[in-house]
Amino acid sequence: MEALAISLVNAVPLLAGVPLWAVTLLLMVVVAAVILVFALTFEGVGSLVLRKVAGDIQARIGPNRVGPNGMLQFLADGVKLVLKEDLIPANADRLLFKLAPYFAFVGSFAAFVVVPFGVGLIAADLNIGIYYVMAVTSLVVIGVLLAGWSSNNKWALLGGMRAAAQIVSYEIPVGMALIPAVLIAGSLSLQDIVRSQSGLLGIFGWNLFHNPFTFFSFFLYFTAAQAETNQTPFDLPEAESELVSGYNVEYSGIRFGLFFLSEFGDMFIVATLSTACFLGGWNVPFFNAGTLPWIWGNLFSLGVFLAKAFTMVLIMMWVRWTLPRLRVDQLMRMAWKYLVPLTFVNLLGVSLWLLVFKGKGIPAMIASLFG
Amino acid sequence: MTTRTDALPTQEMTINMGPQHPSTHGVLRVILTTDGEVVTRAVPDVGYLHRGLEKIGERVTYAQFMPFTDRLDYLAAMNCNCAWAWAVEKLAKIEVPERAEYLRVIVCELNRISSHLIAFGSYTADMGAFTPFLYGIREREHVNDLFEMICGNRLTYNYARVGGVSGDAPPGFLEKTKEFLDYFEPKIDEYNNLISYNKIFVHRLANVAVIPAEEAVAYGLTGPNLRGSGVPFDLRKDEAYSVYPKFDFKVCVGTGERGTLGDCFDRYMVRINEMRESIKIVRQAVAQIPDGPVLAKVPRLFKPPVGEVYFRSECPRGETGIYLISDGSVNPFRLKIRTGSFVAMNIFEKVTKGLMIADIVAVIGSFDIILPEIDR
Amino acid sequence: MGLKAYMNDIVEAVVTTAKGMRITARYGVDPREEVTLQYPEERWEIPEGYRGFLHNDIKTCTACTMCVKTCPVDCISLESVRGADKRMVLASYDINIGRCMYCGLCVEVCPPKSLKHTSGYEMASVTRGELILHFIAEDAAEIKARVARQVAEAAAKAAEVAKAGAQAGPEAAEVPPSGTAEAAGAQASAKTAEVPLSGTKPSDVSSESAKAPVVEPKAAKEGENKE
Repeated sequence: MEALAISLVNAVPLLAGVPLWAVTLLLMVVVAAVILVFALTFEGVGSLVLRKVAGDIQARIGPNRVGPNGMLQFLADGVKLVLKEDLIPANADRLLFKLAPYFAFVGSFAAFVVVPFGVGLIAADLNIGIYYVMAVTSLVVIGVLLAGWSSNNKWALLGGMRAAAQIVSYEIPVGMALIPAVLIAGSLSLQDIVRSQSGLLGIFGWNLFHNPFTFFSFFLYFTAAQAETNQTPFDLPEAESELVSGYNVEYSGIRFGLFFLSEFGDMFIVATLSTACFLGGWNVPFFNAGTLPWIWGNLFSLGVFLAKAFTMVLIMMWVRWTLPRLRVDQLMRMAWKYLVPLTFVNLLGVSLWLLVFKGKGIPAMIASLFG
Repeated sequence: MTTRTDALPTQEMTINMGPQHPSTHGVLRVILTTDGEVVTRAVPDVGYLHRGLEKIGERVTYAQFMPFTDRLDYLAAMNCNCAWAWAVEKLAKIEVPERAEYLRVIVCELNRISSHLIAFGSYTADMGAFTPFLYGIREREHVNDLFEMICGNRLTYNYARVGGVSGDAPPGFLEKTKEFLDYFEPKIDEYNNLISYNKIFVHRLANVAVIPAEEAVAYGLTGPNLRGSGVPFDLRKDEAYSVYPKFDFKVCVGTGERGTLGDCFDRYMVRINEMRESIKIVRQAVAQIPDGPVLAKVPRLFKPPVGEVYFRSECPRGETGIYLISDGSVNPFRLKIRTGSFVAMNIFEKVTKGLMIADIVAVIGSFDIILPEIDR
Repeated sequence: MGLKAYMNDIVEAVVTTAKGMRITARYGVDPREEVTLQYPEERWEIPEGYRGFLHNDIKTCTACTMCVKTCPVDCISLESVRGADKRMVLASYDINIGRCMYCGLCVEVCPPKSLKHTSGYEMASVTRGELILHFIAEDAAEIKARVARQVAEAAAKAAEVAKAGAQAGPEAAEVPPSGTAEAAGAQASAKTAEVPLSGTKPSDVSSESAKAPVVEPKAAKEGENKE
């Protein structure tokens, strides 16, 4: 960001007198605003796509009245939520009640900062990329717990407790499943991980095909991460048919909207992490996007990245409408007795592989056979 | 109530699974006392839908009460209509024409299919899989179309009459019924592939709320709840009424295939298998149906002889028993309706001890209760 | 739990999930699997015999009150007076379709088959009064007054003829009463035929006439029940 600020000050004579920190700060705000707009648009459109996909799977049409083919439904929903009465239950803890949605939203949105959208399109290429994402998405737990507690409602409390248990338990498999990608790239930074999958191998350069253990890693990550985002089959915290919307139950209006948006934001983060770590990120197949002129390289890589990420989101929606939900003890059992051992075994496998084969994946070895 | 477990004192929570709840199949209130997620006591509180149907029965005539039986179990309205008709005919010893009995059996079994579709759909929706519910509804629309053809209404049929049925099947009804059966039979396999044997679904249902056979009989459970515990008692075979003796079908019994015998999964599978058996019965009925009148001659202001009768028929949710006392006038003197859902509430408290809150939903769904039947 | 059972669990979970996902994928992709009927642009074809709103053909209705007595929820109410020809003349006929439960019992018992179900089902309204269908547009009191006048005229004529007949002789007395009765009856039925059938447009009738008819036929009904 500083480098960009310096180049901007040099390029635009008007800003010569402005101190560097001010320009940097301004740039940061602008970039954050851009990402916020993207996030909100994605979350809105995502909710619409979810309903349309649900309609298709359930032999019906989704929303189709507002706008052509129902495309403006999310705007109508957004406006409706904003215009609703601000209800706070009588004996609720007012400060916590108001604070909770922001924690959830910030926890989900802050992770957008390190998402590698394209060759040069990343808000902040932190050298602790994955570590940062894992840390920041844990803020969601606090938000959900606060919501459950402060609603002064036993159902909300149950939902909040379940959510806390679930999200915290599934952080371990998520982290363990992402480490193979880190080991292969040698760095926590997401741009480095994506670049480690580039090269002339094209689609086979993906971490998915690197070795059998990373293959399983991908599915383990996807399953565990779906639990992180409270998607069916892991949507106990907001189990509509049991807990009447769980921790959300007393929320209405835009506060509910923030929870709802943060759910889709989390979905996007999961999709982007799995794309970046396992599916080659923004690497255009058989191309080196860095060699193209700045704008075309970025455009292509952005397109490829978004295509992959949206496919993952669609798969999450597909699974959501197929499976029933797990009971809370079965959920915990699955996390601790199945996913955690499996991810540990996986990690061990990847480490051994990298040691034995000196970091080379199967496609690389086959390619080297042919010279 | 505070319990000390080592150093941490805990307290039991009293939660109200209120009349308004997405999964209580109506306005059922369950007062849960839980220790965290584990339920220590679950007391059902019924009566939110009490409309005094039995009292209304004392003020209207026998023919006028027929539409009220529609509202007794609105998902199996044909079965309730026919139960009332059979009860009054038993009391007054009226001969019903054979074609009418065949038509009654056809619509009762079709209604059994559509009722079990809702039971299946709402159960899976309670468990979190929202898709099979819509598939079930779509199938049910076809059944509703058939009923619309035969009696003119899609939910509250008022089809049976004392002495027969209100109208003959219009031309094309029997062919359309056969078409529907051919269309529907492979769908049951699709549902089994989609959700019935899905590991998550099986795990939610297996070994939950096991009711041994003796207990089921002792608590007076009927219908699929009883058969799910392994007791092969079906009124259509053991106390065969109407033309059921003429049909060849199996009594579906729980087998403990994915857990213990008598758990929620068994009750669920009994309903799925019963749909198959109903298809068989309807096929046989459509093939064997004779020609003839559809309504016996019954005087307009019908006065049955003085006496009392208890007639029970196999409705999708259990046995619907009608105890009817007549004093020779045009209105019944007293009528009492015993429904399968109401007796299922008997065993609710016992069977839910030690389950988790999510299992309460599974239990309610496995009993396939419907509140109008419980509250009348 | 042994290792074999453990691996079995995982494999079974994956296989059953995949089977389910294949089915939902087929539905998601196949455009023929959309069964939604987009009401109100597309409408369901109502089959014959559908039990929709009730309609009474006033011309054929004989005011026998069978429908009133049979209705389990007392949604039909009618007022009638005996006309000069000894036949009942309908003064008002109201059906409260908000109360009606579309059971069809009234249609079944109607002797002249004037009461029938239509295929109408769309009459959502904002007030309950709009849901009461009045099948006779003219005010009930006016009809009763008119019929009373006709009856009085017929009675007066009959009295005159009887007096004239008593003076003229026994034979002449037989013919005129039936003739005048017929004429009076034809007049009365012509009068009722003139009244336009307004069964499906209840909006212009005041609610007072809706309240009034409830009293008389209900009394008649209770009397019947007490027998």
